[in-house]
This record gives sequence, structure tokens and C-alpha cells, in this order.
Amino acid sequence: MYKPAVIAKNSFKELLRKKGLQVLLVFGLILIGSSRLFSFLTPGEEMKMIKDVGLSTIEFFGALIVIFGAIGALSSEVEKKTLYTLLAKPLKRRDFVLGKFLGLSLATLLNFLLMAIFFIGLLLFKEHTVSSGIFKALILILFELFLIAAIALAVSTFASPAFTMIFSLFLYLVGHLIGYGHSLMEQTESALLKAAGTLFYRIIPNFENFNIRDKVAVDIFVRWNYLVKTIGYSLIYIAVALLIGIYFFQKREI
Amino acid sequence: MSAVIKIENLTKIYKLSKRREVTGLLNFNLEVEEGEIFGLLGPNGSGKTTLLKIMLGLISPTKGKVEILGKRMDNVEVKKDIGFLPENPYYYEYLTGSELLDFYGDIFDLPENVKRRRSQELLSTVGLAKVKHMVLRNYSKGMLERIGLACALLNNPKLLILDEPTTGLDPIGGRETRDLLLGLKKEGKTILLSSHFLSEVERICDRIGILDQGRLLAVGRLKELLKERKVETFEDLFIKIVKNNV
Amino acid sequence: MLRPDPHKHKFAIKIFSTIIILLIGISFLQKSINLQRKVEDLEARLLLMPGEIAGSLILVGFRGIGADLLWLQVHHCWHSGQHYRMLPLFNAITFLQPHFITPWAVGGWHMAYNIYVLMKTEKEKNQWLQAGLDFLKKGTQHNPDRYDLHFELGWTYYHKAKDYPNAIKYFEKAIKFPHPDYVDNCLAHAYAKNGQIGNSIKHWEYIRDRSPGFNKVAVRILHNLKTYGSVNAPEENE
Repeated sequence: MYKPAVIAKNSFKELLRKKGLQVLLVFGLILIGSSRLFSFLTPGEEMKMIKDVGLSTIEFFGALIVIFGAIGALSSEVEKKTLYTLLAKPLKRRDFVLGKFLGLSLATLLNFLLMAIFFIGLLLFKEHTVSSGIFKALILILFELFLIAAIALAVSTFASPAFTMIFSLFLYLVGHLIGYGHSLMEQTESALLKAAGTLFYRIIPNFENFNIRDKVAVDIFVRWNYLVKTIGYSLIYIAVALLIGIYFFQKREI
Repeated sequence: MSAVIKIENLTKIYKLSKRREVTGLLNFNLEVEEGEIFGLLGPNGSGKTTLLKIMLGLISPTKGKVEILGKRMDNVEVKKDIGFLPENPYYYEYLTGSELLDFYGDIFDLPENVKRRRSQELLSTVGLAKVKHMVLRNYSKGMLERIGLACALLNNPKLLILDEPTTGLDPIGGRETRDLLLGLKKEGKTILLSSHFLSEVERICDRIGILDQGRLLAVGRLKELLKERKVETFEDLFIKIVKNNV
Repeated sequence: MLRPDPHKHKFAIKIFSTIIILLIGISFLQKSINLQRKVEDLEARLLLMPGEIAGSLILVGFRGIGADLLWLQVHHCWHSGQHYRMLPLFNAITFLQPHFITPWAVGGWHMAYNIYVLMKTEKEKNQWLQAGLDFLKKGTQHNPDRYDLHFELGWTYYHKAKDYPNAIKYFEKAIKFPHPDYVDNCLAHAYAKNGQIGNSIKHWEYIRDRSPGFNKVAVRILHNLKTYGSVNAPEENE
């Protein structure tokens, strides 16, 4: 059996048992369901709000679940010293990191599907059809979540759980603003600031790329080739994050 | 007989900050021959765990060389022939005993049928066959120690490394473990065990090494060491060597 | 250095050179994504509103929800009669989500009708009517491919401003896109009001043949137009 798959299977099992993640999932589902409270609005407005709330909840709670999951994936093995036994076996550290990422992605996918199916069910119940735009927005959210998983996991290979959490949440925020930050920096006179701005812009992932939900909620059409590009973008960034994770984990003293 | 473990000039310095350093091991040399049980003794913090961690590739040495079964430790393949039991083993508490063996079997890349057979055998050897479908959360400390031993033997290793193997066991369990280890020795396996139970080491080890503050202070057969240092008991020997070092 | 391992540096160099290559690849991809976001109107706008929950949400990329919350505030202002407080909210919402149609329509109507009647002088009334029309025009610029706002604009010209040429202009734009049947009725009425009886008859005939719901109305009005040259029969006028 492919070694990362062995690790993935085990860490998937472990993630499913995490109480905190289950609670987050339930909160997410409640929030998606609560968007029906807007029924005092006209039907068009109500649908828009259900879509906004649903998609945003799936993204935000998905991100929280992923970040907490990533922190637990490594730190629990370190704290409980299971890592100690595991790495004494013929297992490359690279395969361990890859396996953890795969397990985390699998758990992410499951959480995502639960929320997405509930959300789509709600839309079908209200409107009887779901536009392709909704599916496109959901797909991009999923790949954004995979990317967040890879980043949080990479950070957790060299940082404490608390730092990982703060850093990942911060990066999530900054990643949504980096586009604006860059265009602001472009206008400064200082060459140094400009260079720094460009550098950050090149390194920090631009999470706004994945954000089309504000557009599909008002029925703007998004082409499939945009999805292909953005998914490619997320896969390359995942590779970068995993390489960083593997590098630091290889050096780590256990 | 050839050396299964060959350690040359091994030094490990932990950097706590830019100025502060702690020596884990200093110019450590050791050879362990095939088929012997070697006991590593030392007070807490003497460097036993550091040595085992380096041997297993968990931490990297500052200087020096470790060869196990003729291969350098950064080659993961060596670990296929090593069995390791950590001190106070702690496993995935949501798995059952047989699931745990199954998981490690996959990590060792054992063929499905071999994995099944070895798990069954080992579970009855360590006396856990009845509780193999119980999750590890409900195992007692002694049971965890036993399942740990089963994990360590799963790959039929040539070299067995045990860190304080009988700490969690009751006298009967300790006895059983000792018999098991002697049986393994008869099969030609090499065993390295660290302990601070002098009696345990005295009873089963062919040779011993005494460590303190990262240095190997004495190594050899117990009888020869006693004669050399002119003491009666193992305990006196241990205390004399460690005290002299201070 | 005491490190005995010569592979260490090689490993670091391998990893980091791969990372740099990937990041360079990504910067090209980002350029292409940026272009597409701009061209296909996927770009989001940034609006900072200190102290507003909506403002903070918008920051983290939840513009839709931010706009929704502001829209709920419009509802609140509406029911508590705070007419002027609604105006900045309309601007903010339409800025955040220019393709959210309802705020454009409601905002334009609010200015041209509700604030209009609160005004005392003719001059002020006309200023608000114009403000409403301008707001709707801005909306049509953001949403030129749907009937909604063209129709709203046409209707405001027709009904409130009694400016039939302009009403016709926007109704004609509206019917180019999928639209409900009453839009055609409005256009046909506007032709008649503007004295373009020929056009009006043609359009009523179109309505008679196409929309069963308005068939009876169309038949009656066509009769009136052809007989009396006006939508209503003389006795109906009195």
C-alpha cells in the first residue's frame, strides 16, 4: 500500500473523531439553515440572501474546520508521542507530510460535501433549480479550502499550534486583501515600499481568486476556463506549501 | 560475528539559544555484536534517550556516525529490520489492538497474509488475543506496554531497541517479557535495551554500558567490570562509576 | 560547521529552487486571472466603513453578506421613516454588488417618488426626480444586459416625469432582453401618449398575437386606436 495513503487513512479516522470539528460543522449547518429567516423579503431578495449566507458559511466554517484540523493533525501526534513510534518505522518524513495532507483533504472534502449538499437541498426546496454558477462557486471554495489545509499544515511543521492558528487566520485575511494592498502599494512614491508590496503580492496566495460567490449570487456568468485557471493556481500553491512543510519537517527534531 | 550497531564519535549538542548549549552526547563510541543483549544504563538525563533517538533517525547528530546493519541511519530502509518500543508507549487511542498492528503492518509494507499471521501470533504471545477488538483507550498501562512489544516485533526485526521495557509491567509481566527477550536472543536477534532497573539488566544482558552526562563511562561484561573496579555488586559498581564522574 | 551531512544543503537548494520556479509560474497565472476578473466583471470592490459590522465582513471577502446586511438596514430605515438615511446605504450596496438589481430599482424609486412628495418647492421636487433618474441610469450602465433597470427607468420617465420620448427610448431597450409581458404594454402606451399612433397600433397587434393574458385588452385598445385615434374611447375619457 502506498505509504501516504496509509497515513491518510489513519489521520482521516482521527479527524472524524475530533469533537471541536463536529461542533463547527453543526454551527455551519445551522447558519446555512438560518438563511431561511429572511423570508420576509421579496422572493428574489430572499434567494440572493440564502445564496450569500450559504456560500459564505461554507467557506468560512470550512476554513475554520480546515485550520483546526491541520493543527490537530500534527500536534496531536507530537504531544501524544505517537510520532516518535511512527517515525522509528520505515516511513519517509516526506510521505508522512503528504499522508497528513491527504487525510486532511479527505476530511475537508467530507465536511464540505455535508454542508454543500444541505445548502443545495435548501436551494432546490425553494427554487427547484440550481444554477451552474452555484456549483462553480462551490468548487472554487473547495479548492480554496484544500489550499488553506496545505498552508496550515506546512506552518504546523515548524510552529506551535497557537502560532499556526493565528498565522493561518491572519493569512486567510491578508490573502483576501492582498489584491487591494498591491494596487495601493503601486501608487506609492517609495521604491522600497513598492518592491516590498510586489514581493508580498508574489508570495502570499490571493484568496480573492476563489471568490466568485458574490457574483453568482446575482447571476453573473463565470466561464469554466476561469475555474481551470484558479484550480491550477490552487494546486501549484498547494505544492509550494507542501514543499515548505516537507523541508521543515525533515529538519525537525522529534 | 559482525557489529550490528556501530557508533563512532557521536556528539549531540542541543542549542537552547545562541549562547546556551546542552551536551546530550559527547564523543560516544559503541559496537554491539549480532545476537547479544546489550544493556544501556544511566541515571535520568544521562543521554540514553538521545542516543536511541539518533539511532532511530528522529534527531540528527551534531557530529559522528551511526551505522546499523551496515547502513547509515538516514537510509529509511534500515528501519525495516529494527523493532522499537518507546518508553511509556502511547498509541492512537481510537484504534483497537488489531487495528494498530494492521496500521503498523502497512507502514512496514508487509504483505497482507504475513501481516495477518504475525498479528495473530504476536497478540497471543503477548497475551492480548482476547482484547484485540477493544480500543486502546481502555487498555491498562501494562496492556499498552504489551501491545507496544507486539508492534516492535511485528516486522520480525533483526535488531530490537527497547526503552525501559518493563516500567509499566507487574512482576509477572516483567518476568514474561524477560523470558520473551531471552527467547528472541536464541533466535539470533540483537537486543539493545535501556533501563535503570539494575536487576533486570543484570539478569538478561550479555554486556552493559554505563552512561552519564552524555559520556560512555564503562562498557563490558558485568563480571569483568566488577573485577576491574573491585566491587561486589552491580549497584556498587554503578554508583562508583557515576559518582566518580561528578 | 560540525554538520556531517552533505545532503542537507543539496536538499534545501532542491526544495527552494522548485518553490521559486513554482512561484514564478504562479505570477503568470495570477496575471491571467486578474485580466479575466477585470474583463468578465468578476472583480470585487473594496469599501471601508469604520464601525460597521458590514464593513468588517466586506474586508474579509464577504461582500455579499455585507450588502445583505446593509439591505436589511434599508428595510429598517424604511419602516421607521428615515428616508435620508437610506440614501448612503443604496450607494454602498450598489457599489459593493452593482449586479444586485433590487437596490438600484428601489433606490431610484425612493428618490423619484417618496422623497419627491416630501419636498415643498417645485425646484426641489425636480431635483429629486432627476436624482432618481440618474441613479437608475447608473444602474443600467452596470446591468445593460437585462430588462429590469431599463424598464424602471422608462417607467419613471413615463409615469413620474411624463417625458414620453425618453420613456420610449428605455422601454425599447428593455424589450430587447427577456422580459415580462407588461413591459410591452407600457411601451405601446408610451407610443400612444407620444402621438406615435402607428407605432402604438403595431405594438398592440404584437401584444394581441403574442401574449394571451393581454389579448382582450389589446383587442379593445386596438379598436379604440383605429376608431378614435386614442387609447380610450371618448365616453371613457369622461
